[in-house]
Amino acid sequence: MSDEVDRSVLPIRRPPFKGVANQTLGGSEPDWGLIGHVKPPEGAPNILLVLIDDAGFGNPGTFGGPVATPNYDRMAAEGLRYNRFHVTAMCSPTRAALLTGRNHHAVGMGGIPEFSGAFPGYSAMLPRDAAPFPKVLKENGYSTAGIGKWHLTPEGEQGPAGPFTHWPNAWGFDYYWGFLAPEAGQYDTMIAENQKFIGVQDGKDGKPFYFPEAMTDQAIDWLHGVRGHDGQKPWFLYYSTGCSHAPHHVSKEWSAKYKGRFDQGWDRLREETFERQKRLGVVPADAVLTPRNEEMPAWDSLSENSKRLFAHQMEVYAGYSENADHHVGRLLDAVEEMGELDNTVIIWIWGDNGASLEGTPTGTFNEGTMVNGLPLTDEEQMQLALKWGGLEAWGTEMMYPHYSTAWAWAGNTPFQWGKQVASHLGGTRNPMVVRWPAHITDGGGLRSQFTHVTDIGPTILEIAGIPQPAHVDGVGQQPMTGVTFTGSLTDPDAPEHHTQQYFENFGNRAMYQDGWWLSMRMPRTPWRLDPELLKRFAPGVWNPDEDPVELYYLPDDFSQANDLSASHPEKVKELQALFWEEAEKYNIKPLLAGFSPFFGILPPLGSQTTTTYYGDVQNVAPGCVPRVYNHSYTISADLHVPDDGAEGVIVADANHLGGFALFVQDGKLKHTYAFLGVFEYRQESAGELPTGDVNVQMRFAADEAKPATPGAVTLYVNGEQVGGGRMDHTVPFGFSGYSGLDVGRDNGLVVDRGYAGQAPFAFTGTVKKVVFDVAPHFDGKDELALHEHAQQAHTARGINA
Amino acid sequence: MSDTDFDVVIAAYLIPDLAQNDFDALVGLVKDKQLTVEGVVLVTNDAGGNVTVKETGDHLGRKGLEIGGGVGLVVGLFAPPLLASVVVGAAAGALAGKFARHRVESGLAEKMGAALPPGSAGIVAIYDRGKTGTVDAALTSAVRKSVAPVDGGGTKKLKAALAEAQAGMGG
Repeated sequence: MSDEVDRSVLPIRRPPFKGVANQTLGGSEPDWGLIGHVKPPEGAPNILLVLIDDAGFGNPGTFGGPVATPNYDRMAAEGLRYNRFHVTAMCSPTRAALLTGRNHHAVGMGGIPEFSGAFPGYSAMLPRDAAPFPKVLKENGYSTAGIGKWHLTPEGEQGPAGPFTHWPNAWGFDYYWGFLAPEAGQYDTMIAENQKFIGVQDGKDGKPFYFPEAMTDQAIDWLHGVRGHDGQKPWFLYYSTGCSHAPHHVSKEWSAKYKGRFDQGWDRLREETFERQKRLGVVPADAVLTPRNEEMPAWDSLSENSKRLFAHQMEVYAGYSENADHHVGRLLDAVEEMGELDNTVIIWIWGDNGASLEGTPTGTFNEGTMVNGLPLTDEEQMQLALKWGGLEAWGTEMMYPHYSTAWAWAGNTPFQWGKQVASHLGGTRNPMVVRWPAHITDGGGLRSQFTHVTDIGPTILEIAGIPQPAHVDGVGQQPMTGVTFTGSLTDPDAPEHHTQQYFENFGNRAMYQDGWWLSMRMPRTPWRLDPELLKRFAPGVWNPDEDPVELYYLPDDFSQANDLSASHPEKVKELQALFWEEAEKYNIKPLLAGFSPFFGILPPLGSQTTTTYYGDVQNVAPGCVPRVYNHSYTISADLHVPDDGAEGVIVADANHLGGFALFVQDGKLKHTYAFLGVFEYRQESAGELPTGDVNVQMRFAADEAKPATPGAVTLYVNGEQVGGGRMDHTVPFGFSGYSGLDVGRDNGLVVDRGYAGQAPFAFTGTVKKVVFDVAPHFDGKDELALHEHAQQAHTARGINA
Repeated sequence: MSDTDFDVVIAAYLIPDLAQNDFDALVGLVKDKQLTVEGVVLVTNDAGGNVTVKETGDHLGRKGLEIGGGVGLVVGLFAPPLLASVVVGAAAGALAGKFARHRVESGLAEKMGAALPPGSAGIVAIYDRGKTGTVDAALTSAVRKSVAPVDGGGTKKLKAALAEAQAGMGG
């Protein structure tokens, strides 16, 4: 297909038949042009877009950080480093902006897909007038694949009933393999392939499964497949790692490389990083290192115990991050081996937001404790770390670790704050490397044009010679709000095109224009989401324009160290007003719509209170698991037990760091409830399970319908009470962000370590059906209160992603 | 206080060399006569999961090999098979204090091994109850501590106290 093709309307129209069709073949003339496929413009290169998760400007060695990143170094040496590239301060918003080329609120992703809010900017529903650029590439003849973390599908749609309009295929990917969740265990990742969950996979060659390795293998296999099928067709590969988001899972082989490397602490690490950044030139010589916020402790104030534990947390994070670089390197090697490296544009962004502050000041053995609002002291964290295997286990599947807040701050050197904090560069400025040797002549060069994640789509389309379409699938398109930075690839002094940009995530906001940056930070630390704190932001209480402001002039102040707000009040007002104009234009209003459940703005009550699973339903995504939290519920299962008895899991959700399992072991009916790795509650029947057709039930009677309610468990067999016990604590928000529910087995990491050696401990009889009743005896008031809490829980679970 | 009133403390550590520091401090207190102990041991569980009695101290504040075959009562708590790997060698020799010659088959070693994950360490000490504050202050880097009284010098009492202290390490 020639470039005369009208690419402004997608799908591209089928060319008219130019042959002749008579009544018979006699005299008919074929037109083989009908059989061809849409082709991209001549010379359109392959595109590899790499996105690292939850990492800071000062993490990779390429930008002066402590993490060895030889492959990033190599790409930078042969390409360009961009040191004023910006993202939103949150995961899903950045990904939506990245793939659509439009501001995140404009495509409904002002919040996160765990909670769909009832305002256009927060629905998490990709509008049809914002076709993602992968779809544009696909419709223009590219082969497209997305491999790795996704986190753009509304949680309630992540099941076999769909709809699938927000799954990766619908965003334009021919092939998808990865996880839809905000985060995932790297050893038992619940994998989705295209439009189906295929669950936890086995490792290769007898080795345990490890997601970074597996996703790279998948990416390489896909490339090999495409090239084997079509020797010419350009491809677009979106390779999106789970690293370096929590859980920080990596083998000791990698973390051991960093042993002792962080004993100096985060204060000194920032200074060291800053010095390297200046030497590398990624930070200007006149830049100033910003000071530590009082919310983070001075390293020297810590006990020796804390220092040692915290240092190890960072060793694991660094090893995990270097491992990600290693696997990208494997992918690059594969592309090179195919002889296509130099015809591939590589855009590698190190972090979809700044490094995560969500580990709380102590760091945590299980991020789920923070997500569920369970405050743990330094001492308790250490005790629980000891319980689950001590320092040797930090990085293994036994924990779901996240490092201390202050390590994230150090990872965001030289800036203030980090993830979630859209008002400051610590949350929004991340490294980017671009390699395209055919056009970049000053390999190793530095680019300092202000660029933004929305610019990636327009730039890729321009490189491919493909216009932004005016219509897609019959729907007129919003123009992309990003602008191309293609000019800067060849010209270090290319004019800056992205001169204005708003930033907003969960109330933290900034307005940038022509070098000026107005920071408007809500007085809320990212690791606190408690209702008491949020009261000050309630409707009628919070006036955003009364939030403290800081004003920076970035051309002279790379790191935001010199607040000019007091001396430039007129500029403050000007940018405040401009922010509200942008808010109107891009659906940012109302602020905090992503938090609306915390302020009583709720979706309609659902009517389904029972869920029935027939047969061995597996890999039910967390957002689709019956919500058993904060109230009474029952699980009833119809079984067939053979004459010689049976054992195994009847139904299980999540794992030992939060979850429940109803199972049969040693002939007895057992129930285990894992309270976030802090407590385990176990009940079992007094006698053995009978044979034949058997009904078993687990009834949880909450003391009252309230968050984290205690209550009593009673076990029944064929209607007769056979055992039970108290549970003094229950999980208020959610067990796991990624691990699913399984009937008839316990896939992945198991709930009760007592059967870990037999995992997945499949039931040896037959599970005919399992029925959850999550509202056995509510009154209307209870139901509404719990509905409100459930919506808050969705929001809380997603905010850390 | 009766001269047979002791407490037993079990302390667990995330970081073995911090346990060593605390062990040294504890033995130093004994040597300086600020504390009376029946015995104290430092136990490590290495990265490979091998539980070992790393060092011992006796009622005179003598450590490890300095005290030859007499390794104090507390080592006796670590009944075979653990003793096979005790670095101080023949542990069944002379024991000191009120509990001399009591080989308490407490199972403590196995339980300590279970409580101490690979790469961690623990201290067990039996000391004069009047010095609880002193001992507590010395075990500065312990992540978990559990104390139980030993009322009287009999084996049964000691076993009961150990069981109580072990129970306190759970959860």
